[in-house]
Amino acid sequence: MTKLKRILASKTTVTLVWVVGVMAIWEVFAFIVAATKRTPINVLPHVWQIVESFFSDKAVTGKMTMAQLIATSCGETLSRAAIGFLIGTVLGYLLALLMNMSGIVEKIAFPYLMIIQMIPILGMAPIILAITGDIDSSRMVIAAILTFYPVSTNTLAGFKAVEKEKHELMYSYAATGFQRYIKTYIPFSIPYFFTGLKISAPMAITASILVDTLQGGNGLGCMLSQSLKGGMTRLVFWDIVVISAIIGILSYYLMGLIEKLICPYKRRGQEVIL
Amino acid sequence: MTNKARLNLLASVLLPLCVAVLLFILWQTEVLHILLGTDTITLPLPTRIGEIIGQNADAIWEHTQISLRVALGGLVMGSVLGYGIALIATIFPKWGAGGLSIVSAFNAIPIVALAPVINNWTRDISTEVDQRSTVAKMLVVMIFCTASMSINAFRGLTELKPFSEDLMKTYAAKRGTVFLKLRLPNSIPYIFTALKVSVPSSIIGALVSEYFAEDTVGVGRQIRENIVKGQYPTAWAYIAVACIIGIALYAILMLVEHLVMKRRKG
Repeated sequence: MTKLKRILASKTTVTLVWVVGVMAIWEVFAFIVAATKRTPINVLPHVWQIVESFFSDKAVTGKMTMAQLIATSCGETLSRAAIGFLIGTVLGYLLALLMNMSGIVEKIAFPYLMIIQMIPILGMAPIILAITGDIDSSRMVIAAILTFYPVSTNTLAGFKAVEKEKHELMYSYAATGFQRYIKTYIPFSIPYFFTGLKISAPMAITASILVDTLQGGNGLGCMLSQSLKGGMTRLVFWDIVVISAIIGILSYYLMGLIEKLICPYKRRGQEVIL
Repeated sequence: MTNKARLNLLASVLLPLCVAVLLFILWQTEVLHILLGTDTITLPLPTRIGEIIGQNADAIWEHTQISLRVALGGLVMGSVLGYGIALIATIFPKWGAGGLSIVSAFNAIPIVALAPVINNWTRDISTEVDQRSTVAKMLVVMIFCTASMSINAFRGLTELKPFSEDLMKTYAAKRGTVFLKLRLPNSIPYIFTALKVSVPSSIIGALVSEYFAEDTVGVGRQIRENIVKGQYPTAWAYIAVACIIGIALYAILMLVEHLVMKRRKG
């Protein structure tokens, strides 16, 4: 009995009940929609329809089944998002390092880091597409820009949060600048750095999908807009919405997992918002 | 203020300004175009963009108002909803916290993808295209803004100063009183933290939802339409306006925060 109580009280149960609850509400609405609308699939299909269509072996395009189609377009979109994410991470980290080393760089760059968060970058997607002229590179550029500033601001906050005693200790050891970075700054800032990554990973994916919708190609976003225009069954659209939601959430947890592997000791960085 | 502090302040204003001027010169003299490998058609000169804004001021203002209405309407709806969720979660902490983790998962969903479906949901609201499309856009912005408010407000309502809750207990305060005197004031700084995230994202939400909306109005839609038509200078004018809206709203938020927080301290 106590065992049952413990299972009921656990966090996983709570989350599970919520997930089931959300799905139940979805289903209720889906039934209402199915009863009242002429084309329920356009408004809200049943959960099982979405799942079924994903595993069915009926071809949705020329020769690909749903799972194949989504897998190829996922690969296309995610690989670009990942490259942009990596570029943005490296650049953001380097800028944070530079800003920490030199007061002048910090004074110059910090106001721009603030401004860049207020600018609707995603709204600029079409023009970035026009400048680069190529969907692949514009996906990467936008994903990189969106990754860049959360990583940079959070890492810098991590550098700044090193306690004074640690600096004094390093000073008493007569540590060189390089040693101070290797031994105090960088290890200390890792949780902060990952906070930045957790914010930006889903953003990079969202951005990639959005850029896809602007031009033809093979990405997730292209399939999404083609399905909306009636090029293929609407279920393609729903499958992509669900899959991209799952990918977005997984990308967040992936960053958490990598963080746990790199620094298993628990020390959470606070989320930094300027 | 000491001399050194004054010098420091001067440097932190002048240095970024110098970079801005340098960037402007590079742009105006077309060095930037060579660096980016583009031309003055896709990336018009700043003076040309300014000229276009001046010429189309009326039309731009109209589209700005439409986008602002969507962004702010959605922001208010999302924030109220988010705070409401946080309140419910505070009353039922165990189940509420689990619910919040679901809400925060919404953050990771590319909500943009939902914009076209939401258009379908609002089809029955009104026969007027502009009305139902405004509602659809506001709904997208609302979903954009809900998560950050509910998570931050929940923290504000529950992460109280040590012993303050115990103090309330010794006063035999009712739950309502604890809420009014302790939890509510405690959550105000957290509300601003949430708004600092959701104000910029409300604008992004408004612009992006306009891409998919039935009604072809708003700053975001104009950016896209003008690029499709090949009128890059006009598109850039709207981008500049979008940036100005973003910065202006953020500045207003900072000002309000400053005023509210100052009064609380004093």
